[in-house]
Amino acid sequence: MSRYKKLIDEANKEHLRSITRRHFLMDCVTGLGAAALGSFLAGCGSSGAGSAIPNAVAADPMAPKAPHFPGKAKSVIYLHMAGAPSQLELFDYKPALQRLHNQLCPPSLLEGKKFAFIRGVPKMLGPQAVFKQHGASGAWISDHLPHFTAMADEVSFLKAVQTDQFNHGPAQLLMQTGSARLGRPSIGSWVTYGLGTENSNLPGFVVLTSGGKTPDAGKSIWGSGFLPSVYQGVQCRTKGDPVLFLSDPEGMDRDLRKASIDAINRINEEEYTAYGDPETLARISQYELAYKMQIAVPEVMNIQNEPDYIHEMYGTQPGKESFANNCLLARKLVEKGVRFVQLYDWGWDSHGTDENLAIDYGFRNKCREIDRPITALLQDLKQRGLLDETLVVWGGEFGRTPMQENRDGKEMPFLGRDHHVEAFTIWMAGAGIKKGFTWGETDEIGYAAVKGKVAINDIHATILQQLGFDHEKLTYQFQGRPFRLTDTGGKVITPILA
Amino acid sequence: MIFLESTGSWGSLTGRMHPLLVHLPIGILILALLFVLISRLPRWQPLRAAIPFTLFLSFAAAAASCLTGYLLSQDGGYDEKTLNTHFYLGIGVAVISGLWWVTYRMLKKSPRLELLLALGMLLLISITGHYGGTLTHGDNYLEAAMPAALSSFSKKAVAAETGKYKDIGDALLYEDLVQPVLNNRCGSCHSQQKLKGGLQLETLALLRKGGENGPVLKDSLPEESELYKRIILPESDEHRMPPKGKPSLTPAETELLHWWISCGGPAGKKVKDLPKNPRISAVLAAMQPSKPVDRLATVPEKTVPPAPADAIAALTAKGLKVLPVAENSNYLSVSAFTAQGFSDADAALLLPLKEQLIWLDLSGAPVTDQVFSTLSQLKNLTKLTLKGTAIKGIALQSLNQCTGLMYLNLVQTATQTANIISLKNNKQLEQLYVAQTGIPANALQELHQQLEQLKIDTGGYRLARLPTDTLEYHKAAQQ
Repeated sequence: MSRYKKLIDEANKEHLRSITRRHFLMDCVTGLGAAALGSFLAGCGSSGAGSAIPNAVAADPMAPKAPHFPGKAKSVIYLHMAGAPSQLELFDYKPALQRLHNQLCPPSLLEGKKFAFIRGVPKMLGPQAVFKQHGASGAWISDHLPHFTAMADEVSFLKAVQTDQFNHGPAQLLMQTGSARLGRPSIGSWVTYGLGTENSNLPGFVVLTSGGKTPDAGKSIWGSGFLPSVYQGVQCRTKGDPVLFLSDPEGMDRDLRKASIDAINRINEEEYTAYGDPETLARISQYELAYKMQIAVPEVMNIQNEPDYIHEMYGTQPGKESFANNCLLARKLVEKGVRFVQLYDWGWDSHGTDENLAIDYGFRNKCREIDRPITALLQDLKQRGLLDETLVVWGGEFGRTPMQENRDGKEMPFLGRDHHVEAFTIWMAGAGIKKGFTWGETDEIGYAAVKGKVAINDIHATILQQLGFDHEKLTYQFQGRPFRLTDTGGKVITPILA
Repeated sequence: MIFLESTGSWGSLTGRMHPLLVHLPIGILILALLFVLISRLPRWQPLRAAIPFTLFLSFAAAAASCLTGYLLSQDGGYDEKTLNTHFYLGIGVAVISGLWWVTYRMLKKSPRLELLLALGMLLLISITGHYGGTLTHGDNYLEAAMPAALSSFSKKAVAAETGKYKDIGDALLYEDLVQPVLNNRCGSCHSQQKLKGGLQLETLALLRKGGENGPVLKDSLPEESELYKRIILPESDEHRMPPKGKPSLTPAETELLHWWISCGGPAGKKVKDLPKNPRISAVLAAMQPSKPVDRLATVPEKTVPPAPADAIAALTAKGLKVLPVAENSNYLSVSAFTAQGFSDADAALLLPLKEQLIWLDLSGAPVTDQVFSTLSQLKNLTKLTLKGTAIKGIALQSLNQCTGLMYLNLVQTATQTANIISLKNNKQLEQLYVAQTGIPANALQELHQQLEQLKIDTGGYRLARLPTDTLEYHKAAQQ
């Protein structure tokens, strides 16, 4: 069989495959199943019904939309330290833990508990950092973040955040989508679904990664779940072309590119009129966005023409993949109207299995890598008048144990801490968050949350609140019921709101 | 019977089958009535034969429902008046359907009488069903879900709770704050209709009376008052109120209840006349009506009419993004991220929106100082961003006419110190950003003296170079 014939054959098969399923659905609509199917189709988003946002018109799903009430934040920058940094070496100072250093862990802390790697009876591990109080607020910050100490009076620390997942993948999913299982939209998707974007030349939700690896949970943590796929995060590379295959191929000029995209979109529009599949719309707007992005993205992603003192401040090195570059990019993107910028920095999983993952070596290097950039990001946002309307969130997916890890009950080559779900620290800044405030407290060794406990969906509720949403009303009809980011929980953390 | 007695009381369980059984007579009777109606058509004539059997089934099911209903009513906790009405109406349904079955052959001869009976029957089961629903779901179950158009006809339309007081200090603690919490969170079970635990919380007198286990309120001692104690029990506790599955009180509501009991459970007392602790002060501050949590200072309180649609369309055509600051607001926010060709001449397009436009962001647009002649007419503007534009700020003084301006961003422009100082008459200006204008931090002292509340950010932050910035931690290197 010639290659040509094979192609025709495959196209025919593909066509038949789509026709059979859709015919079935169309037949159902005219028949008895119509009533039942109504809700089913709404779940696909085809009717746009059930959406809490009446003007979420199919025509331009990313058109800017008004929130429930005037929001303090217009954008969000979420700095996720993938692997989970140790709160006990950064913000949660526990002198009592130092006194217990190297002693065996009391059985009361182990009974009925599950740990990812700790087996048998581990030893306690005192803080491996020097702590001091900083700023007028007197927040405890360790010497691992010497620059960030100047930001003590800019941020609100949440010291008693709790999760129920002690493995990276599920915990990252929970942190970023509100559910430890796959299939839910990420925070950024909910935000762009609710607010759209004011800059149609750029994606509304941009993802930047650093640290050499993408997070364990994979791309689902910036996926759109059951929301239409226009709302998923667009990952930009910080080295080489920011978006792969964005440049025109050799020999094709921009007019020809425009003509071919127009032709493809016309065919897609016909397809949409025939079948009404919202995914076709997503495809149309992705093509249009890609065309506009060809000019806008290289411009915004180019950090070369920033002044030298900005590079000095962030510690950026153009052309390299680094957290510092991503922080500067985050500021540039937010300044251009991008709604949600998600940063992931990999390499915080300090178990003590090797030097890079040792609390006393690799962890300190990671801290150095973020110290200047996060401080510079906050100051830069502030001086450009952006911090008032940009919510900055920093944190990992869980915390680390006050015990030293003893993987498989053996001594480890380096100092390390295991995954810990009962209490960890996250901070938020900007956009109506109190400056120089601490909410929540852990016990004297930092094992359990004592006061001001915060659940993951409380953080989500707070993010949505600052953007102008009642988290209970930002819903999407799917599988016959309205879904929301905070599922059935979530309380706005009002004590940290200014 | 001996066997039954030896296995305990079955009455309660049988009674609880009532909500299940009760739907049978309703369905079957309606089917019988339907048969009566459509069998009048010649085509459906054969259905006639099924009517007596269906009527008999209705009678049997109705009788069973009456029996289980009676057993269920023995459990208690229902409003007696509604219960009795429902009870007798139910017996009525059973008796009438039974009689109809017996006299079916006779009645058949006068089709008019039969039709009248059928319609009467439909009315009777509807009313009976409604009273049954009132018993389980409460009095205002339907009213609560009525759309505004309908509820204005309903005499029980719930009066709006808000707006009774302008300042939280003037609110009556029990009447305005505590009673609404009790109504919202406890009302569905502890009301005249349901009377769970014999306790009603609809008025202060009933609350003080307590329930079947005695009083629920110990004045000034919240920790010993059942009313408070049960609310703070863990969710898993079987004595906890509201029980598992019902929405809990928010921390603020719990705090309010605690405070009211500590004050001795007063009625008719104003919030400002009662002693406060720091916790309740925080709760009350959040309840301050003139300053709701969801309000922003940069959105004016007075309302404006909607903006003309054609003016919005004209701006949108230029690539500007125009949208309301919130769903239910007519105030607008305009941004120019995708309108980089927006010029001084185009600025006139903003004028039809001068009432509604409060947030304007022209970052990066090639506008010059001429734009100020337009901007100064946007009288309701509260936030203005001119970052990276070609303005020199010569006409900055004209912004004095924007008397609501709170936020001004002149970052990355060629604005001069003298021009910025001319802003000194903008009394309400709170934030001024002038980074990357070349203006030194100390040059704006004068302005700061004039406007004490003004926060000026001249930017130019630097981070010192620390030895630790480049220090790499390695085991080998340290040894």
